[in-house]
Amino acid sequence: MDSFRNGGIASLPLNPPDSILHRIPATTVALAVMLASFQYFTGCALPEASRPPVHYTGDRMTDAEAQVAAAAPKDRVLWQDRFAAEALRRGEFDRAKRQLDSVIATLGGQLSGPDEAARRARGYFSGESEKTFIGEPYERVMAYYYRGLLYWRDGEPDNARACFRSAALNDADMLAHQYANDYVLLDYLEGLATAKLGGDGSDSFARARANTKLALPAYDNEANVLCFVEYGRGPMKYAAGRYGEQLRFNVRPSNTHSAVLLVDGRQVALPPYDDLNFQATTRGGRVMDYILQNKAVFKGTTDAIGRLALTGAAIAHDNGEKQDGAATTLAVAGVISKVISAATNPRADTRTWDNLPQYLSFAALHLAPGTHAARIEFFDVHGERLPEFSRDVTIAVDDTSHDTVVFLSQLSR
Amino acid sequence: MNRTHFVALSSLALAAALLGGCSASEGVHNPTGIPVTQMNPDERGFVGGTGVESQDLVTVTDKMARSILGIPQIANARTPPFIVLEPVVNDTRFPINKDIFLTRIRSQLNEKATGRVSFLDREMMKTLAGERELKQGGQVTASADPNVVEFRGADYFLTGKLQGIATQSSAGVSDYILYTFRLTDARTSVIVWESSAEIKKQGLEDAAYR
Repeated sequence: MDSFRNGGIASLPLNPPDSILHRIPATTVALAVMLASFQYFTGCALPEASRPPVHYTGDRMTDAEAQVAAAAPKDRVLWQDRFAAEALRRGEFDRAKRQLDSVIATLGGQLSGPDEAARRARGYFSGESEKTFIGEPYERVMAYYYRGLLYWRDGEPDNARACFRSAALNDADMLAHQYANDYVLLDYLEGLATAKLGGDGSDSFARARANTKLALPAYDNEANVLCFVEYGRGPMKYAAGRYGEQLRFNVRPSNTHSAVLLVDGRQVALPPYDDLNFQATTRGGRVMDYILQNKAVFKGTTDAIGRLALTGAAIAHDNGEKQDGAATTLAVAGVISKVISAATNPRADTRTWDNLPQYLSFAALHLAPGTHAARIEFFDVHGERLPEFSRDVTIAVDDTSHDTVVFLSQLSR
Repeated sequence: MNRTHFVALSSLALAAALLGGCSASEGVHNPTGIPVTQMNPDERGFVGGTGVESQDLVTVTDKMARSILGIPQIANARTPPFIVLEPVVNDTRFPINKDIFLTRIRSQLNEKATGRVSFLDREMMKTLAGERELKQGGQVTASADPNVVEFRGADYFLTGKLQGIATQSSAGVSDYILYTFRLTDARTSVIVWESSAEIKKQGLEDAAYR
């Protein structure tokens, strides 16, 4: 009897009176209905597809490529993103390009039509992480940003500009439109590429200037060395809310707040034009947030209904044989509702491109052909140098047919 | 029906409920995958977006090639004019393989108008100049006098531009791309031919990605 009050069915009478058996085989029906409902609503536990094991070699790049190959299809973009960032910082540009081209192909293919993974993610009984990872807007922006600087490095400023434009389009606040396209560098670099291609980049420059209080240097068509710099640690995601249905960001401010490049007796300022922590937390609402909220409400409601029904079943059972039928019905309904509630998964997707920087910076300068010894230095918010991150770099300007692109990251090891 | 029969039947029902509906691949879309199928390049596949795709390339370059062949400077030329391909400029938001457009136009022209146009391979100039120097130095044999300048000058330059307008809202993404190609007289800078094609696409991704 007590087990009903506690929501269990363990003490259902095994030898019920014949009157009940003639009407309802309580134990068997309850079990069969419960299990049938469970498997219907959960769609069964899917066997994990076999994946090749990752044999770690100790070489970060080799291991990262192995992780990409071994990743589940829905997670592949995430591993490709991480690998690409690591490859960039190690100067393995061809490897980074290959991964980013695949990522961008996936991002661009999201309009292909019915997406089964996305449909499951929207369903009540699968978490959001069922969908193919393409990242939040700031993550998609960074995939295009990194690919853009690689195109520029290859002497294709028009394709680089295309990447910066696509990045800006992905920084869209579909619901409130308040924080749409507020990156400084995406507009600035688009305009610079246009200027270098002989066009008028002034509109893009004006948009970039409107999004920052920092001084933005005017375009210099004679500049032949483009320095893309990044520092600080980017945001991490976590799930909040009663059922983890709310996507939140852990955005601890970085100790590094600015950088300077010392080259040819010059000090080139590298201020933090863009802040990914800010971009992550000001993305505006997502349509998926509403879906997850609905799932959370459904989960809570079915849980409450289940609890109510099982309580009612216990009360009905206590009221004697005449209410045994009602007790059984309520018990079954309660169990089903509880099962449905337990199976409902409103958890937000917290998969994160976790090796992104916090700050993006850029500088364009003119250097004579040849090899130049330089030094990159990083500073904290008070302007104090952070010697542990400062290092010497060599800038080789040897191709006069197109700009020399230099990529410097505080996160390089 | 007695109790034993009823329990037995119910147990069978239970077993059926357990085993019958629960396929390991339940809910998996295309669990066996989709066999590779060959498609025509001008067909729209099931994988795509609003950017430049193979069917756009085919449509546009076919149109351009047909149009070029009809202009008097090509159709009525006494000797096949020499054309240099200049890189296409991408002014859209889609990073693309730019060479592929001119490559396809060139191959269409060569295929459909054999002998009526000739293309100069300026990408090879460095290699060709190096080979000429080897011949001039006597390091390799030559079937003709290597000191005679035989590299052809261009009669026309063929180039193009892709420009786009993108719009995004809660209703979806829309991309319009204008493809323009032109043939410029190398001597006078006159544009002797120009043609364009425009393609617009729109779509809306699944709510899970919005």
